[in-house]
Amino acid sequence: MAERRVAVTGAGVVSPIGVTLDDFYRALCESRSGLRRLPEEVAKGSGVQVAAMIDWNPQPLFKEAEAANLDRSTQFALAAAGQAIAAAGLDTRAAADRCGVHWGTGLGGSNSLEGAYKQVYGANEWRLRPLTVVMAMSNAAGSNVAVRYGLRGKFANFATACSSSAMALGEAMRTIQAGRADAMIAGGSEALLTPGTLAAWQALRTLAPADAQNPAASCKPFDKRRGGLVLGEGAAAFVLEDESRARARGAPILALLTGYGNSCDAVHMSRPDRDGQVRAMREALAEAKLETKDIGYINAPGTARAVGDVVESEAINVVFGEAAARLPVSSTKSLHGHLLGGAGALEFAAALLPLTRGWLPPTAWLEQPDPACKLRHVPMRAEETQPPGAVMSNSFAFGGSNVVLIAERA
Amino acid sequence: MDTLGRIKDLASKEFTLDANALDPAAPLDTLGIDSLSFIEFMFKIEEEFGVNVSDDDLKGIKTLGDLERHVAAALAAAGKA
Repeated sequence: MAERRVAVTGAGVVSPIGVTLDDFYRALCESRSGLRRLPEEVAKGSGVQVAAMIDWNPQPLFKEAEAANLDRSTQFALAAAGQAIAAAGLDTRAAADRCGVHWGTGLGGSNSLEGAYKQVYGANEWRLRPLTVVMAMSNAAGSNVAVRYGLRGKFANFATACSSSAMALGEAMRTIQAGRADAMIAGGSEALLTPGTLAAWQALRTLAPADAQNPAASCKPFDKRRGGLVLGEGAAAFVLEDESRARARGAPILALLTGYGNSCDAVHMSRPDRDGQVRAMREALAEAKLETKDIGYINAPGTARAVGDVVESEAINVVFGEAAARLPVSSTKSLHGHLLGGAGALEFAAALLPLTRGWLPPTAWLEQPDPACKLRHVPMRAEETQPPGAVMSNSFAFGGSNVVLIAERA
Repeated sequence: MDTLGRIKDLASKEFTLDANALDPAAPLDTLGIDSLSFIEFMFKIEEEFGVNVSDDDLKGIKTLGDLERHVAAALAAAGKA
């Protein structure tokens, strides 16, 4: 049997810089940042100053009563998945048993969980609403996508921090390759901008303070002045399909997902390891049967942490050697913040921008590149480009879980 | 508004149904109210009326009419009606 190839036939985005794919791309091309000072009622005593928060109105997508029963992260997930399915023109119920969901999230329904804790510990009010469990559980977002669209096939939920949704995409690709599904909805979501979770992040001493002059510029990956990561929220979803079936039904094909690398550093919970990243990139390249010169853009994790940016720059140089000097690399987190469990999927969407529309998304605010991050940057502004044959999207997570995805031009 | 009226009003909001068309004798599942939604709804009913409906009593509630009788009994027991 010929190897089944996997096509990307639809994409949906709910991000701090746009709640459709087109708006997201426009913001990337215009270097429009979604970072801003956190309102007092969200930051509370956490000390966190800045984040990429979505100005989210559940209406008209969800009726008021319905929205009250869905965690914020699930609302993002349903919105993104709906966009992706509509863009793909996929009738999910036509062969529902052959269509599944792979989803990624770091903390799941953290707004619901924190709301419950606030009531219990804050107000000593122990009568919690019965839906607390099903709203807060990790698989709430993915399972709601399955219910909404009647997706009865393979389901999995990945929780590997910042690589969760990239892993969901990679594993969904495998599921289709293996013939266990014909189509998969894959993506991830996160909504954890709550006072308690913010305080926990603040305790880790890894978040950037607000840029005094311009809070929107608080996340400066690969720059000498970088001060840490900035948290964000949102979701991204894709429809992945067996290529021959997608072509047979005349579906729009954005790209082919051809490489998936997965490795674990097995070294440290938060300090990234070059070797683990190198192994993941090499595995993805080998699977896609591509050489380093074939990759025309890398969307890097680039969290703007002091150590992380250097390690991943080194890893790219180890893998790509001399080609690294000509290989455009950027971190779009400078504009949309760190979506954690949703990051891999959102950044995969960013990585498709040069492939599908001929624009390299920038690393915003990169005025003073750190010499230790020796890369061919896309500083400040997006650059128009000939669409490359292939792009890479890297997601390296706390816990040492590395995922690398490669997409090729359809 | 009487007890049944208040229950219908809450149900219409919770499940986006027409309050006037709600038949108190109709089995809950025919109204599209499944067991999980009903438990969440009961939580709101208890809040609204300031009563507690026991797990045993809950099992006997199959219609909005059943619910009204249990709420009325609980209100009476609490001296609120």
